[in-house]
Amino acid sequence: MRKKPGWIKKIFFDVEDYHESMTSPERYRRFRRTLSLVMIAAFLVPLILTTMLSYYAYRSNMLAYLRWNAESATKTIETFLTELQTVLLYTAEGHTYEELINQDNLNELYHRLKTHYPGVVDLGIIDHKGIQRAYAGPYELAGKNYSDRECCKTSSAGKTVIGKIELGYRNVPHFCISANVFSRTSGKSWTFRTGIDAATLDKYIDNLSTSPLSDIFLVSRKGEPLLQSTSQIYGSPLTPYPFELPSNRIGVTISEERGVWDYVVLKAVSYIEGTPWALVLVKHGYLYGKDWSFFKARLFFIVMISTLLALFVILQITKLFVGRIREADEKRESMMAEVEHTSKLASIGRLAAGIAHEINNPLAIISAKTGLITDLLELSGDFKYKEKIGSEIHGTANAVERCKVITHRLLGFARRMDVSLESISVNNLMKEVLSFLDQEAMYRGINVDLELGESIPIIESDRGQLQQIFLNLVNNAIDAIGKDGKVTIKTKKLDENSIQIDVVDNGKGIPQNIISHIFEPFFTTKESMEKKGTGLGLFITYGIIKKLGGHISVRSTVGVGTTFSVILPVKINLSRRAHDVESESPGG
Amino acid sequence: MSKVKVLVVDDEVEFATTLAERLNIRGFETTACFCTEDALALIHAKDIPDVVLLDLKMPHMDGMETLEEIKKYNPTIEVIMLTGHGGGIPLIGAERKKYSPFDCIMKPADINDLTTKINQAMAKRQIAINRGEGK
Repeated sequence: MRKKPGWIKKIFFDVEDYHESMTSPERYRRFRRTLSLVMIAAFLVPLILTTMLSYYAYRSNMLAYLRWNAESATKTIETFLTELQTVLLYTAEGHTYEELINQDNLNELYHRLKTHYPGVVDLGIIDHKGIQRAYAGPYELAGKNYSDRECCKTSSAGKTVIGKIELGYRNVPHFCISANVFSRTSGKSWTFRTGIDAATLDKYIDNLSTSPLSDIFLVSRKGEPLLQSTSQIYGSPLTPYPFELPSNRIGVTISEERGVWDYVVLKAVSYIEGTPWALVLVKHGYLYGKDWSFFKARLFFIVMISTLLALFVILQITKLFVGRIREADEKRESMMAEVEHTSKLASIGRLAAGIAHEINNPLAIISAKTGLITDLLELSGDFKYKEKIGSEIHGTANAVERCKVITHRLLGFARRMDVSLESISVNNLMKEVLSFLDQEAMYRGINVDLELGESIPIIESDRGQLQQIFLNLVNNAIDAIGKDGKVTIKTKKLDENSIQIDVVDNGKGIPQNIISHIFEPFFTTKESMEKKGTGLGLFITYGIIKKLGGHISVRSTVGVGTTFSVILPVKINLSRRAHDVESESPGG
Repeated sequence: MSKVKVLVVDDEVEFATTLAERLNIRGFETTACFCTEDALALIHAKDIPDVVLLDLKMPHMDGMETLEEIKKYNPTIEVIMLTGHGGGIPLIGAERKKYSPFDCIMKPADINDLTTKINQAMAKRQIAINRGEGK
């Protein structure tokens, strides 16, 4: 047999170590508990691991989606602005400074641009000193000094600069794109400044919003962060943005914050190149959380349901499993006890027969001698004490006779006899047996009933010995009742190969402490009765039944009655029978 | 009518002699032998008994073999087996059946049963002799 690994042995304690308490309930309870725990652990660990993995997979999926959204929105805005910048630079470089400070020319250009780009609010031409030399638009801004404005200071020729959203002189949120142009005629650079309505940017960014679940907006990245486009959460442009921007300027930075009602706020921030802006994509608490909490609830529900189901199944299985093991153990124990009992009977039988054999020869001599003395007494004439001697010898002969009965019955159990097989109808045999005992039963007021089963196969066995068995059993039943009662003989087919005969009485029953001894030799309960038993009847019956390949068992309840059940084979297995006889007889 | 000749064969000397004496008292002409060899020698010496009382289990040669020898020599001699252990005889196979004893009696036997059996055996032998068997 393969040896169990040590740790399993430690968990499921070794069967052999607990031999004494093999079938104690505590042992099975412990076994069941351990088995259940191990099975539950074996089930729960992978379940929890899988759950955790899917939890994190879901989360990282969400983050990746957010990052991708932020990246693509940033690219789109960059493209839009680059295109706008290119158009404005191209327009500026297509004219000279002198052409554009002419109000008519500028007005015409303004109107042309406005046709294509409705977001353009105004145009201005600023000289190298930062003074707006010409202006086209709805406000009066000609001659204003822009030298302190960043967009006019930092740009170099052939470049454009985008300014943050501001109110400026117009007191309307807008941003500027300034194109710096170098004039070859004057050798100085000038600036072509375009004001663009903040609402244009708003509208554009609003279009980028991929789903109503997210909030997307721009924030100025220099100085105090101010909103640069309308946010669903934080309000309209130029409202302060309540968070710090991340220091990382390349790529998308994702952060997680606790929002209202403890919902998680996921935030993706990406700096837009060439602008003073950062794009912020917020998946806010309850919007994002709805999805998330649904996922969490579903996961929790699945885990709970499968755990409960597994617990139920595991508990049921272990109950069944341990029950089966216990059943098998108990069966094995009772079989062991039966085998022990049988072999005990066989050895007692051998011993008894051996002793009987040894005693029988000297007994024969005593018997012969007393017989001879009796003979001689009869032949001789009268003498003193003749009568006395005669009666003493008679007493001796009687004692020898009693010994003879015992030795003969003992030897009868063990003798190696030739079983003469014939076909026997068990039902008929029972009727025959009953005919021997009818008188006796009637005399004692005992009813003997026959409940004979139908379609009982004809069996192959020894008629004389079967008669002896059932005479003995019915006789015992009658003795157990004493007076007025009922004996029932039942026959039935057990299966294809065996039949069962029950002898049931409603006598006084056999106490539990006695029942295990009733098949032993010299065991009798009939001592108080007129007909004293030798204590060999059931012992011999047992021997004969074994010899005929059968089996006898007894069930009894004190005060209710006793049932002897004899199971006989339909066909005797000769080789097995020979073996049994050999092992149970003393030999010789 | 001459006396019925009985041969008692048993290795228990006390038993054999006592039984022989009791049978003599009852009018049989009885001889006792204490081993099978002596018994067979006696039979071969033409002192043919009518009935042999033969112990089943004896040293050297057991009762069944002796029975066979006797029956081979003269099938009309009737043999009653005496046994100290179990009344049965291991009658196994046709060969054994061919030389079956007249009866088998368990020791200690009742003397009256025994004389009855001897007389019955003698009657059987007489019939066989009259038919001219065994001569």
